[in-house]
Amino acid sequence: MEHIPFSVGNEGRQVFWNAEHFELWLFLFTFVALGIFAYGIYRRWQMWAAMGKPEIRWDDTKERLKLLLRDGFLQIKTFKDPYPGIMHGLIFFGFVVLIFGAAFDATEFHITEPFGIAFLRGWFYLIFSFTMDLFGLAVLLGVLMALHRRYITRPDRLAYRGESDSTADDAIALLLLLGIIVTGFVIESLRIHVTQPSWEVWSFAGYALSKAFVGVPAETAKAMHAWTWWIHTFIVLGFIAYIPYSRLLHMITVPANHFMQNRKPVGTIEPIRDFENAESFGVGQLDEFTWKQIFDADACTKCGRCQDGCPAYLTGKPLSPKKLVQDLKTYWLEKAPAAVMAKKLADEPAKWPYLGKKWPILNTIDFIIDFLLAKTKGMPTGAPAEKALVGEAIELHELWACTNCMYCMENCSASIEHVPKIIAMRQYKVLTEADFAPELQLTYRNMENNSNPWGVGSHLRGDWAKDLGVKTLAEDPNVEYLFYVGCSGSFDDRGKKVSVAFAKILKEAGVSFGILGAEESCCGDSAMRGGNEYLYQTLAQANIEVMNGYGVKKIITTCPHGYNALKKDYPHFGGNYEIYHHTEILADLIAKGKISLKKSMDGVFTYHDSCFLGRYNNIYTQPRTILGAVPGMKLVEMERNLAKSFCCGAGGARMWMEEEGQRINNTRAAQAIEVKADVIAVGCPFCLTMMSDGIKDNKKDEEMKSLDIAEIVWKSMDLEEEPEPVEVCAAPAE
Amino acid sequence: MNIVACVKQVPDTEAQIKVKPDGSGIDEGGIKWVMNPYDEFGVEEALKMKEKFGGDVTIVCVGPARAMETIRTALAMGADKGIHISDPALENADAYTTASALAAAIKGVPYDVILCGQRAIDDDSGQVGSVLAELLGIPQVTVVTKVDVDGQKVKVVRPIEGAQLVIESALPAVITATKGLNEPRYASLPGIMKAKKKPVDVKDAAALGVSADAKAKVGKFIPPPARPPGKIICADDTPEGKAAEVAKLLREEAKVI
Ligand SMILES: Cc1cc2nc3c(=O)[nH]c(=O)nc-3n(C[C@H](O)[C@H](O)[C@H](O)COP(=O)(O)OP(=O)(O)OC[C@H]3O[C@@H](n4cnc5c(N)ncnc54)[C@H](O)[C@@H]3O)c2cc1C
Ligand code: SF4
Ligand code: SF4
Repeated sequence: MEHIPFSVGNEGRQVFWNAEHFELWLFLFTFVALGIFAYGIYRRWQMWAAMGKPEIRWDDTKERLKLLLRDGFLQIKTFKDPYPGIMHGLIFFGFVVLIFGAAFDATEFHITEPFGIAFLRGWFYLIFSFTMDLFGLAVLLGVLMALHRRYITRPDRLAYRGESDSTADDAIALLLLLGIIVTGFVIESLRIHVTQPSWEVWSFAGYALSKAFVGVPAETAKAMHAWTWWIHTFIVLGFIAYIPYSRLLHMITVPANHFMQNRKPVGTIEPIRDFENAESFGVGQLDEFTWKQIFDADACTKCGRCQDGCPAYLTGKPLSPKKLVQDLKTYWLEKAPAAVMAKKLADEPAKWPYLGKKWPILNTIDFIIDFLLAKTKGMPTGAPAEKALVGEAIELHELWACTNCMYCMENCSASIEHVPKIIAMRQYKVLTEADFAPELQLTYRNMENNSNPWGVGSHLRGDWAKDLGVKTLAEDPNVEYLFYVGCSGSFDDRGKKVSVAFAKILKEAGVSFGILGAEESCCGDSAMRGGNEYLYQTLAQANIEVMNGYGVKKIITTCPHGYNALKKDYPHFGGNYEIYHHTEILADLIAKGKISLKKSMDGVFTYHDSCFLGRYNNIYTQPRTILGAVPGMKLVEMERNLAKSFCCGAGGARMWMEEEGQRINNTRAAQAIEVKADVIAVGCPFCLTMMSDGIKDNKKDEEMKSLDIAEIVWKSMDLEEEPEPVEVCAAPAE
Repeated sequence: MNIVACVKQVPDTEAQIKVKPDGSGIDEGGIKWVMNPYDEFGVEEALKMKEKFGGDVTIVCVGPARAMETIRTALAMGADKGIHISDPALENADAYTTASALAAAIKGVPYDVILCGQRAIDDDSGQVGSVLAELLGIPQVTVVTKVDVDGQKVKVVRPIEGAQLVIESALPAVITATKGLNEPRYASLPGIMKAKKKPVDVKDAAALGVSADAKAKVGKFIPPPARPPGKIICADDTPEGKAAEVAKLLREEAKVI
């Protein structure tokens, strides 16, 4: 092609310099690479489509595109962790710019230049080449950071219990990236070395590298250039072809997963609707997941963000959310080919399944490829795995170790939804097989018979309020708020004190409220999260019937588990109320001056975020605002706080189960001890129990304690003489 | 191998029991009714035998209409069918009458083993199993913690003070179950749903040809006196000091030693 010669004032560079005759070959190889790429995507697509129940995750496209922009393009979730965020950002944004650059080049060369329009000229070219070099270096830096991290610093997140989960694939992907950039710079520098345009200082990296070739004769340099050009080309094409067969596929699956992410309130579990006729409940076989739940697993990049704050993993339990998702993926990879085959057979029951009438050529290719790749992970054929999903692929110890703390989902950079999968598999164990921990069976029986996990007589539910003059709705239904007390607040000695403190505050502030007393039922959270959806729905319906009977509109809870269940799950069954957590109410009462905090509270306080308040319901500020309003309060934060807070260990029905090994609550209490807290302030009765026990187990119960925010507020209101501690061991009366 | 399990519906252990003002019985309002816990052991053992040897498990229960729920619970656990002996005349049945009704019903079904709880936690008389065996003229082994069926014989373990008896009996026999025999299963949801459709025969005393006349009649229900508050003992902090104090109180206040 003829060019207007480049010169100062008309700067530019010749595309295909020294490679003019390669163009045809390049097209050919590109065609092959794209073919391999497309075939890989097509096979994968078949595998995604072969298993799982239908689920629509593309409603409200506009909102979803926004999510794609936020999490996919702007990488907001990835950037939450600085080092890996920057590392990935450098590679990602670097490549975005490089690809745009290459597209500019190609557009000019193939489309506009033949019409005599060349826009990569002059100052635009200079800025262009500068930018390309800059972002090329960005990628290089990103890849080096990644290599350093994966192979030198090796954080535990890239392993499972010290055993690295890096595979050859990880190395290949990074080396391909490295190869593309390095050869790219070498090509550029050789061209600069030979053509020596004065303006190429703007291609600063290539320019600097070209100094390395000083003294190399032009002809030699041109030959080196041609070789490197081909190497570069093959690495690029190899990279493209490799995408669908490797972890690089995440470039497609992860954005797709962001687009399809859950848009319902955090932690919502779809209710089981048909108990009467189904033979199996929850997920016992892969096919009982929705296709999206399976797709999730394929999108996992093994980044380990989820594992980093998983309370189960960090206290030595077999569960790691990363491993769980990866195990699911492996299992799916084993099962999918047979499912694809079965689907084909069903679609076109020909004698020779591969050579069906519909897609004879593709089917033939499938057959050949399957044959060739028979043993490769990713596309195996043959008999599907015989092992069971629940109990073998995913071990029961893993399944039951989860506290539903939501750390994994909140922090996953690929919008993967672990918790609903865990609950679905628990549902299978509990509802279909009735095979689960005896202590949990006892809890459920107690909930069935007495509507509380301890099995205390249900008639005693309202007794905590006996001497407070709190009315039940049966006595007076014309109140603004229902105080839904919940099981801990009604039956647990420590929880009852919180209920009392909160009720006293409400009375003092003149809030109109009542309780249900013995008519109240357990909220059912532990049943639902422990897989007993049937029991949960029975309890929820009992509550809804009573609440709707009284025309309840606004509800306050002191327990985030009840808060979450009533707010997000009861609407499924016709229970629609405005739900408030007591910290929201208390913050409001303080802001409006309805209560005043007078008494100074000395000592160091730290606030422990309840998962069901924080990550589930985004209530982070109110408890801290309340504590901030207490005179004399010195508030410190633990290292793990807010969205990265560490669970107390009680969620997901774990409250009622035996815990093996290092205890989660002790670990959390130790984190509070580390910041020298005198008081662990909480807004959840489960956390209260867990932190109190944790303090005791850390042998700090002499100098430390755990208090609910309501107790702190009531004390600080200073309206009641603090009762003298009862001297249990006073000298016996003679 | 066909197995019969007798189950009784009793108030939940946590239920608040209020005696009717006239002392004629208890006030049933607000009571949660459950399967007698010892009978759960019986049902579980019956299901285990069925799993091992095949056959049918029949649940037999004397009780008012509400007792049907308890029969369904046993069916949900895995039993095959039920006989519900429901008759207002049997409301004040004593152990003997109950056992005769059970015996009459059981005579109509094939059985190799009959499982009962060792006692019902409401009346606590612990006789029905024994009377039932007598009425049927078959052996009984009571309060057992282990059952081994071997052909036409059964070997059971019965804990006694400081030892265990290993008893062998011919079949058919009545076995009464106690804690330790097994861990009763949690009913699966498909089990619960299927239980709704399993057959339950409802019969009255006349149909069984038994007299509803109780030999022993309850004169009056009297609630126990309110318990005085407990006492925390800590004369001094040493175990010896505390023990001495306990001994003193037992002798001087409680006058039991
Ligand atoms: C004062 C006293 C002292 C005792 N001392 C001893 C002792 O020293 N050693 C010893 O081993 N035992 C002792 N026992 C226990 C007692 O001998 C037996 O346990 C008793 O015979 C069982 O009868 P029950 O009525 O309590 O239980 P029952 O009410 O007779 O129930 C026993 C079982 O019969 C079946 N049944 C009962 N009612 C029904 C119904 N309506 N429908 C279907 N099935 C039903 C159930 O399977 C139930 O679990 C004592 C009992 C008492 C009251
Ligand atoms: S919800 Fe919490 S405990 Fe469960 S897997 Fe995720 S991080 Fe671990
Ligand atoms: S599940 Fe998400 S956070 Fe966990 S390893 Fe996979 S991509 Fe990373």
